[in-house]
Amino acid sequence: MANFSAQVFQNEYLAEGSTDANAVVSVTCTDAGMAGAGATGEAAEVIIVDTSGSMEMPVAKINAARRAAKVAISEIVDGTWFAVVSGHSVAQMVYPTQPGLAQMNDERRAAAIEAVGRLSSGGATAIGAWINAATELFSFRPHAQAHAILLTDGRIEGEPEGTLEAALRRAEGKFQCDCRGIGADWEVAELRGIADALLGSVDIVADPDDLADDFGEMMRRSMGRGVSDVRLRVWAPQGSEVLFVRQVAPTVEDLSAKALQEGPLIRSYPTGAWGDESRDYHISVRVPPAPVGQERLAARVELVVDGNVVAKGLIRALWSTDVQRTTRIDPAVAHYTGQTDLADRIQRGLAAKAAGDTDAATVLLGEAAKLAHQSGNENTTRLLAKVVDVVDADAGTVRLKKNIDKADEMALDTRSTKTTRIRREPQP
Amino acid sequence: MTEPAVVADASRCASCGEALIPGDQFCEACGAITSDGAAAGMPMEGIAQQAPTSGAGRQLPPNGGASGGVGGVCASCGAGVVDGYCVSCGVKARTARDHWSELPAAWLGGVCDRGLVHARNEDAMALAATADETLGVLVVCDGVTSAPESDRASLAAARAACQSLLSAGLTVPSGTSAAAIAGWAAELTAAAAAGNAEAVGVARILGNPPEPPSCTFVAAVVARPDGQHDDQALISVGWCGDSRAYWVPDDGEPIQLGRDHSLGTEMIDAGVAVAKAEADPTSHTITRWLGADSVNATPDLVSLQVATSGWLAVVSDGMWNYASSPAEFAAVVRDSIAGDDPVAIAQAMVAVANGHGGHDNITVALARLDFPTPTN
Repeated sequence: MANFSAQVFQNEYLAEGSTDANAVVSVTCTDAGMAGAGATGEAAEVIIVDTSGSMEMPVAKINAARRAAKVAISEIVDGTWFAVVSGHSVAQMVYPTQPGLAQMNDERRAAAIEAVGRLSSGGATAIGAWINAATELFSFRPHAQAHAILLTDGRIEGEPEGTLEAALRRAEGKFQCDCRGIGADWEVAELRGIADALLGSVDIVADPDDLADDFGEMMRRSMGRGVSDVRLRVWAPQGSEVLFVRQVAPTVEDLSAKALQEGPLIRSYPTGAWGDESRDYHISVRVPPAPVGQERLAARVELVVDGNVVAKGLIRALWSTDVQRTTRIDPAVAHYTGQTDLADRIQRGLAAKAAGDTDAATVLLGEAAKLAHQSGNENTTRLLAKVVDVVDADAGTVRLKKNIDKADEMALDTRSTKTTRIRREPQP
Repeated sequence: MTEPAVVADASRCASCGEALIPGDQFCEACGAITSDGAAAGMPMEGIAQQAPTSGAGRQLPPNGGASGGVGGVCASCGAGVVDGYCVSCGVKARTARDHWSELPAAWLGGVCDRGLVHARNEDAMALAATADETLGVLVVCDGVTSAPESDRASLAAARAACQSLLSAGLTVPSGTSAAAIAGWAAELTAAAAAGNAEAVGVARILGNPPEPPSCTFVAAVVARPDGQHDDQALISVGWCGDSRAYWVPDDGEPIQLGRDHSLGTEMIDAGVAVAKAEADPTSHTITRWLGADSVNATPDLVSLQVATSGWLAVVSDGMWNYASSPAEFAAVVRDSIAGDDPVAIAQAMVAVANGHGGHDNITVALARLDFPTPTN
């Protein structure tokens, strides 16, 4: 049986008249079990493989897609409902052949792998249509824990503007979707938009040879999410304003816009399915100030599964005249504020660069280099070093590189949201 | 998956889910009583038992010490309370540890209050009367704010000291008062030792932190006039630190029983003017206390024979800060008298301290000594 725990990191002391309570709530799930093994008892997977004409250029891409889809299929556990879809100008069933979901067993696994081997390419990239197809397929098992993998190598061409947005509105809350871009001709913002809306990840697979491992890993992780549909519920007092609710580890995802008003003082936010993992949330609440010495609950944060509270954390506000107490910033809050700023500077810096504003790009990416260096985010530091020459990391002085590999820039962009965890105990 | 993890986990508060330190008797976050607290006889029902008489429910604080953390009414806006906080405005509900009263006998009672500025009530008191009501015991301990968890040390020390005195077989002086005074001196010293042992025990439970929890100590034993001896009442006081006892006769000069163990007192002894010494930021630094880091936990002792009716008051500095001299203090007592209920009078005195800002925790324990009105 899954076990959730929540731990709150904050400095509860506020100076007289101050209003903003900030806390990091660290949630850990253990003994999650396997997808489809929970109370609802069903899991569903849809694999969407881009088979547009560009997948043949080079042919390594479609070959890699075939191999990756096979690996993913082989990771789907027996009893899971599944389908494989080929995406080009329309979405086309690969397995099963008629629109619907098949229940996994040895025979169907072999048949699906065989069908994937026959995938051929041609046509345009109509991702909105592919998402719509997945939504329809999952509607065959409406109570299943639903997850899709979407692979593309290009940006949307060949469907009317607004099709994807409409598709996402229909799909939201019905399934989660991990997105992968192969090569360097796809649009980071497009896939990020899909992943954000559908509570999934986004990443670049620059080398087609890496795709199969990545697909296998994604499918294993999905199969290991034994708790479906976990909601983060936040109570905040009368007269308060929830400034933001943001996942900050393992990646930065702002959940604020996903709030569902459950009552006058209660909002809830979808967090999707959980496996054995930890996620950290930065929550900021503006509360009416109380007199010195008084304490107010700034927020009650609950993890809710099937209507049951499985973990709870309290964010407190305590007004004090003790300057030593009120001026301290909690290390977790400080760390994740920095990591959020880091992602922001990278994304804005790359956008400025794309718009031809070299000065702004240099300043923003310089700030990013400084933040990455200070927080010990080595992955991001390494990715940044492929886009800028770091002159002085402490000062945040950088120069844009002359010849940047497009894929390196896209990797920096997609992975900008990956955060490092704060080290809570000194390492021995 | 359907069982809330917070309930299943014994290392967390059953009410609010806050992590508990092993041995915690109430939750630091919401004030709910823990299973350890219940096992140790520390629940707020324990306080209610010590105050068995009159005033239905008066001894229970607003949230009733509800161990479920649910129930009660917000003192700020009147809405309900969950997790120890108001469900509407979020203001922390007053817990049983924040404010309580004791009334072991109609003539002996007190109030212990968080005040307005401190987040916790680190003061504690323990009051008791012998079964025949000839003797009363008043103990007040004030936890040292700079040492974490001193609220636990003070409550444990006060209760242990009170119990020590009760179980010592105190006797009413017969014959010479000097013999009784000598006997009580030993018992007051033993009570301080018992309180010190409890404070040290709390530090041990916490893993002996560098700043161990500690507290002041003042205990008074009082023998009421019974009309059978020489119409004298006897008060004996032992103390460590700056919690005080005052004798406030209905007529005549009030006096402070004993002198603070504090840098302020040392300054006054060195010739600094009282007002200047009391205004000095270091004046409240105590030089004697109970706790694991105490260098001297032996109380100083003073006794007083009284022959007129009046009030014995045992208080923490959160009270006397606003009325330090015996004359000022007596004025507060006399202005607070309305009827003869010691809890009501103590509550009125606490209100005076809170009216001045309530900058510290406030404890007021009172014993009424009444001599029969002369018949002719």
